[in-house]
Parts: sequence; structure tokens; C-alpha cells
Amino acid sequence: MADSNVASSEIAELEPVSGASWLNLREVSGDLVRGLWEEIPLFRLVLGMCPTLAVTTSAVNGVGMGIATAFVLVSSNIMISLLRKIIPDMIRIPAFIIVIASFVTITDLMMAAFTPELHHALGIFIPLIVVNCIVLARAEAFASKNGPLRSTADGLGMGIGFTIVLILLGSLREVLGNGTWFGMPALTGIMELFNYEYQPMIVMVLPPGAFIGLGLFVALANKIEERRKGKK
Amino acid sequence: MDNVVEILLILISTIFVTNFVLARFLGICPFLGVSSRIETSIGMGMAVIFVITLAALSSWLIDKFVLIPFDLVYLRTIVFILVIASLVQFVEMVIRKTSPALYNALGIFLPLITTNCAVLAVALLVVQKEMDLFPMLFFAIGASTGFTVALILMAGIREHTVHARIPKVLQGTPISLITAGLMALSFLGFAGLVRM
Amino acid sequence: MGRLIIVLTAICLVATIALARVYDITKGPIAEQERLRTVSAIKAVLPAFNNDIDKDAKEVVVGKDKRDRDIRMKFYTGKRDESPVGMAFQVIAPDGYAGDISILMGVTPEGEITGIEIISQRETPGLGNKILQEKWRGEFKGRSLEDGPKLAVKKDGGEIDQFSGATISPRAVTNAVKRGLEIYRKEFNHGG
Repeated sequence: MADSNVASSEIAELEPVSGASWLNLREVSGDLVRGLWEEIPLFRLVLGMCPTLAVTTSAVNGVGMGIATAFVLVSSNIMISLLRKIIPDMIRIPAFIIVIASFVTITDLMMAAFTPELHHALGIFIPLIVVNCIVLARAEAFASKNGPLRSTADGLGMGIGFTIVLILLGSLREVLGNGTWFGMPALTGIMELFNYEYQPMIVMVLPPGAFIGLGLFVALANKIEERRKGKK
Repeated sequence: MDNVVEILLILISTIFVTNFVLARFLGICPFLGVSSRIETSIGMGMAVIFVITLAALSSWLIDKFVLIPFDLVYLRTIVFILVIASLVQFVEMVIRKTSPALYNALGIFLPLITTNCAVLAVALLVVQKEMDLFPMLFFAIGASTGFTVALILMAGIREHTVHARIPKVLQGTPISLITAGLMALSFLGFAGLVRM
Repeated sequence: MGRLIIVLTAICLVATIALARVYDITKGPIAEQERLRTVSAIKAVLPAFNNDIDKDAKEVVVGKDKRDRDIRMKFYTGKRDESPVGMAFQVIAPDGYAGDISILMGVTPEGEITGIEIISQRETPGLGNKILQEKWRGEFKGRSLEDGPKLAVKKDGGEIDQFSGATISPRAVTNAVKRGLEIYRKEFNHGG
């Protein structure tokens, strides 16, 4: 399985314009999976750090941000892919920005109306999705050169990968820094069994914890990738 | 006299107490990407201070005279980011004409100022906090100076440790992040210094 | 060149129309969420009431700030079957460790505190933000200006608990609550 993923992404590099193969499942699944490990945002692609570090004080915030970003990624990828032949090259960046900013605003308004606590918790980082380098990078590198189906898969893969990273970092910080996981007692509960009150490592929910936590995860990802390459 | 004190408080709080990079997590991508040499960091920092201050001012004016009176507040994100993108184009042209050396040194990082979340964040913060003109200007100057300070500090550390032996898995992004974490830890010492 | 402008303008137009539409759809729910948030905060600090509390709100100018602008406070009256059970209003403690602390407090017509809620704060997690604890906030219930010097943190000679290593936050809140009671007495002639 690993081999065919590498192969299909190589094909993707050589033939970016895939109008004829709009239903090439191997390509599409390759696009989807790429965002889940090989080019997973943050652990392997150095993009999208600001919201990650800021928002992952709890696992549930991480999930919320991940889903919001994934929505923007997929929608703007689809839209830009559909418009890719109409937009003149010289104004493509402003055009992309308008499309992305519109979807971000829609997300912002929807969240304010229907998920107010999450909206309040994520705060200014919801509008900041528009400058989340992942979104613009995928629009420029992929959606502007490929059909809508593949762009959807690409956006979805990246979005899910991003969400996974947010959940991992959010969980680490919440469990160590607050004793809970998704709001439920985790370390606090376990410690209670031993009649011990868990004193949280507060530094984990503060900025230093975010930086160091993410740094260690990236190092871990590097190690895993090294092992994988070594095996082949 | 009161005003001078207020301005000083704004500057100290935005540069040190809630440093925009080390405490608010804004502008991380350029912070990690550019800061390998002190000279480039200073150049980048100056460009960022200029862009953020102008962007904050323009956004504040547009918000005050157009968006709020016409009940178009929901268009803040899209209008502000377009203003920022145009400003960055403009600054790029200016730098290319006045200092080609700096232009080449900054390379791709100059247009990337558009996606520097600190710029959009400052624009949004000043209108959300409903600041008056002068506090707003100093907030923007302070925020961007804080970014520059963090950038230069990081570059200094990197120049010093360029020959250190770093384990292979930590090379590159991980060690930069951990360094930033230690910097953030030391900046925590400023907490409570000024109440904003 | 012409094509550039046409495409860009077209995209802008479509975006603006789409956004205006979404704004219209969400405007109502957003305002409703805001209202619900206010009402549920008030519910937490006042005894049971059954009036439309956000409609029984009175805005009072209680003084002037540093820039000589009016300081307005909104007082919400809770009623049970038309008879008042208390008023809720917001006070701000400017002397928190890391900035302003917003406190919603509920007071009976006789000037007794029925509860306080911390609306917004940026105190240090694990230290100052212990003011969020229900146990600590409960120490204010039943107190009034008649408590006199007892309405202060223990370090200042009072009875309110302070957290070791984080006196500033509880002190700021306690003093703000006391100021709130004084304003309440002055504006509505209630309380000891």
C-alpha cells in the first residue's frame, strides 16, 4: 500500500492537469492519504503553526479549529479548482484570497450563531484561518492546477491531517497541563484512585509548553520517517 | 504627562508582557523561517513594523468610516486582508527600488508578510478593542516591535549555536521550536508587569 | 487588462452577495446567543426570577472616567411574579494581576449579595484564576456592606480567603464587589 501511495503522488507531480482522469481513483485516494502522513501539516509541512500553538490548550478546541480549517480548505479548494481556467494568472493571489476570506467569514458567522462557546474559545484565530499558510499553499500548489474531485480529496486529506495534529497536541497539553481530556477527568481521575490530588503541569497550557510540545512531536515525526525510509 | 505614561505602558505591554510571537503565537512562520541571521532579521523586522502600523491605521480608518456606519462589520476579515495584500505589494516595490540588496536577502519572505498572521491579527485587535487613534498607533508599533525583538533574539541565538551538535531528529524545526519555548518561558517573567 | 478587472470585480461581487446573505441568516441567531449568554450569567447570580430580565434593564451613569466620558452601568432587575428579587450588574476590577476582571454580581433589594460570576479575566492559570472556583465565589453570598471591614481578603483584615501566592486576584475582585455594593446603595438607596 505504501508503495502505491508514493507512486501515485509521483504521478501527481508529473501530470498536474488531470482533466482527462477525473475519476482516477488511485490518484484521488493518493491525494487524500498524502495529507495524512507524507505531507501532514505541521509534523512534516512547516505550515499553520500559529493557530496550532494558540488553540491547543484543550483537545476539544483543537478539534473545533481542525474542523473549521478543514471546511475552509475543502470549500476554497473546490471553488478555486472550478474557477482555475477563468482566473488570469496575474491576479490569482488576490482572487484566491477573496475566495478563501469569504469562506472564512462564512465559517466565522456560522460558528458565532450556532456554536458560541467554541467560537468564543477560538476567538481571533477563526478569522486568522484566512492567513493559515496551509490554505493558501494548497490553493496555489494544487487546487489551481487540478480538477475539483482531486482538489476535494487534497483539501480533505490536509484538513484531516491538520485536525489529527491538533488533537494530538491539544490532548498532550490538556492531559498534562490540566489533568483532563476533552473536559473529562483523566490524570486527575487516575491520581484520585491513589488518593492523590493531581497538581497540573501548568506550563503545558502556557506558551512554553506549546512550543516545546510541538517541537517534540515534530522530532518524533522525523524519527518515524527516518525509520520508514530506513526500512525501504 | 498622563498620555506619555499610557503610551509607555502600551509599548512595554505589547513588546514584553504579551509579546506577539512568544505569548500570542502570531507570526510564527516568518519567525522560524527568516531568523537565521541578525542582519536579515533587522531588515525583515523593519518591514514588518512598517506594514503592521500602516495596515492597522488603514484598517482602523476603514472600519470607523465605512464598515461600522454601513453595518458591514462582517466584511472585516475580507476587507482587511485585501488592504494588507495591497500594502505588502507596495512595500515590496519600495524596497526593490531603494535597497535591492535587502530585497534579495528577504527573497520570498517579503510577499509572505501578507500571510503573517500578526498583521491581520493586529488589524482585527485594534478594531475589536475599540481603541482610539493614538493608543491604536502605539499598540501597532509595539506589537510589531515585539515581533522584531523576538526575531532578532532568535537570530542571535541561532548565530551562536550554529556549530552546536544537535541530534539528527531535532535538527531544523524541532530545535527552533524548543528554543522558542525557552524564550517564551523567560518572557513569562514579564507577566503582571503592566496591566493592560 | 480589462479581463483582469472584470474577473476580479465579478469575484468580489459574488463574494459580497454571498456574505451578505449568510450575514442575514446568522444575524438573528447571533443576537440570540448574546442574549442567552447574558441571561444565563444573570441566572447564576440572582435567585429565581420569571420576568424577561433583559427587558427590565436600566442604564445609569455612575460617574466619569479618566477621559471625562460617562461611565454607564446596566442594572438588570429580576422579578418573581412582579415583585423584585434582586438586581444584577457588572463591575470591573481594574487591578487584577494581568488586567481587568469583569464581575457580574447579584444583590437583593436589601443589599445582600446573592452571587458573583467572573465574566472575563486573564489571571494566571492555577494561581490567580482560582477566583473562578465556585467555592471561593460562594464566600460572597449573604455578605453586604454591613459586614464592614470583614468584606476583604484575610490579608487585609477580612474574612475572604486569598490563595497563597496569588493575593492580587482575590483582592481585586473583593474590592470591586465592595465598590459595586456602594454604587448600588448610592443609586438605589438600598442596603445597610
